[in-house]
Amino acid sequence: MTTRTDTPTNWYQRKRTRDLALISCFLLPSLAIFFLYRILPLFWNAVLSFEYWSPLKPTRFAGLDHYQEIFFDDDVFWQSLANSLVFVGAAPVAIALALGIALLVNSDLKGAAVYRAIVFLSYPLMTVAVGIIWRWMYDERGGIINFALRSAGIIDTPIPFLQSFNWALPSVIVAEVWQILGFYMIILLTGLQAVPTHLYEAASVDGVPRWAQFWRITLPLLRPSLFLCAVVGILNSFTSFDLIYVMTGGGPGHATELLITHIYKTGFGQTRFDYAAALTIVQFVLLLVLTWLANRAAGGNAGGQAAGR
Amino acid sequence: MRAKPASIALRHLALILVSAIMLVPFYWVIKTSITNENIYAYPPRILPVSPHLFNFVDVWYFIPFPRYLLNSVIVSMLAVAGNVVFNAMAAYALTKHFVGKQTVMLLFLSCMLVPFQATIIPAYLVTANLGLLNTYLGLALPLMSTIVCIFVYKAAFEAVPHSLVDAARIDGLKERQIILRVLMPLSKPAIATNVILAFIWSWNAFLWPLIITREPLMQTLPLGLARFLSYLEDSTGALYAFAVMVLAPSIFVFLMAQKEFIRGLTSGATKG
Repeated sequence: MTTRTDTPTNWYQRKRTRDLALISCFLLPSLAIFFLYRILPLFWNAVLSFEYWSPLKPTRFAGLDHYQEIFFDDDVFWQSLANSLVFVGAAPVAIALALGIALLVNSDLKGAAVYRAIVFLSYPLMTVAVGIIWRWMYDERGGIINFALRSAGIIDTPIPFLQSFNWALPSVIVAEVWQILGFYMIILLTGLQAVPTHLYEAASVDGVPRWAQFWRITLPLLRPSLFLCAVVGILNSFTSFDLIYVMTGGGPGHATELLITHIYKTGFGQTRFDYAAALTIVQFVLLLVLTWLANRAAGGNAGGQAAGR
Repeated sequence: MRAKPASIALRHLALILVSAIMLVPFYWVIKTSITNENIYAYPPRILPVSPHLFNFVDVWYFIPFPRYLLNSVIVSMLAVAGNVVFNAMAAYALTKHFVGKQTVMLLFLSCMLVPFQATIIPAYLVTANLGLLNTYLGLALPLMSTIVCIFVYKAAFEAVPHSLVDAARIDGLKERQIILRVLMPLSKPAIATNVILAFIWSWNAFLWPLIITREPLMQTLPLGLARFLSYLEDSTGALYAFAVMVLAPSIFVFLMAQKEFIRGLTSGATKG
């Protein structure tokens, strides 16, 4: 906004203070919410993780005790970390799949909008309900997956997917990919549409084959979109709480435990807020490091932000 | 793109296959929800025999469905109202130049790096200290302003021509009136994006309500669904009728306003 220079100084100053007051009032609600639910919790978490906290007793300084317990005495932590890494490993596959679909619908193909809507339809759904649906699909008797496999003669006896130590984690990952695929596709589609068409035209004139155009033009220019997908994929691998809670509850054993379910159980199941806070800090640092690595892999400086969560 | 008919047919084939796979879970849950017989019968039937809506009525007897629905609607409305108003205010402030603007922007952007799941323990303690456990406000408060949506508004406000705002100012409109009569009417798509994202996020939220509502009467639909599941396991078609009913609003909203929804999601990708 431009301020008029021909006005008297003190009026100008009063207007300026008034403007500043207005701006502060306008920013206040949002800032208050972010302060209460993002910034304050971050610091409080750090403080809690160095304390012995209990609802009834006064807090005492704990030093690194909780961290020591996490790294040396907590098998569930290591198990959930390993599960998260398996989850992370599935993300590139899902992103590649989404890229394939995005390339297919990113054209003047008739009905492309319909295909796009169908693939994207699962994303805005309530994850709890998605978990219930997939639980049922995996069911031994009523589930369509076992039924299809048995009808096709691939298996003789039904597989109890979600009760099996080997199958539970991949099964949950499939459900997760089903829900997130549309999001990846939309992000990649936006990236594809931002690639200037004259680059392809110039390459075609120079006789560059289509597959080389894909590797040399499309993929490098898609880096920011791929980075965003990777970040969301990493985040989901650690925080898919709803799906795990409904489908397996972290079981069997701890076969599908993620850090977030472990944090929830120690925090609100056993009321060990201090230990859960330390776990949260470890999770947060891991997320930051992985995001940073993904950024490096995407060629650095990829200007993406995780949308929403 | 120039393409041969064969390649077009091939593409359709691939996309039809993908679409079919994506739609199977929808079909299976709807089929189960209108199935009359024992849902555990093997082999399961692909087509429902004598479909009926009995399960949808049954839900109302199994659980306090109207109460969950009411809670969900109230929380979603609070979240939507908060986002539409607070985000617009913050975005308008950010279109101005003022001392400390860089700091505020940096603060917002760094808040985006803190996933909500990494704050649950202290966020619970904050809410407890505010005395908001088991209240609608406590359920909605963390969702009442979102950074992505602020930036959606900001982009829309910045796209309004300066001359229009200046003309309004010369006509003697106050700041409040400029926002309400000039900027907001010209930013309808941004408002729609805010409404839709806030609705979807609050309607689907599970972890947060799970933590802060112990009172069964204050629980929202996702919690009701999880509770239903833990009481009855997968034993009844009513569970799937329940699932269909809670999914319907999100699907409806999405189909009605696909464009605005997608714009909201992708604005995070294009802006830093």
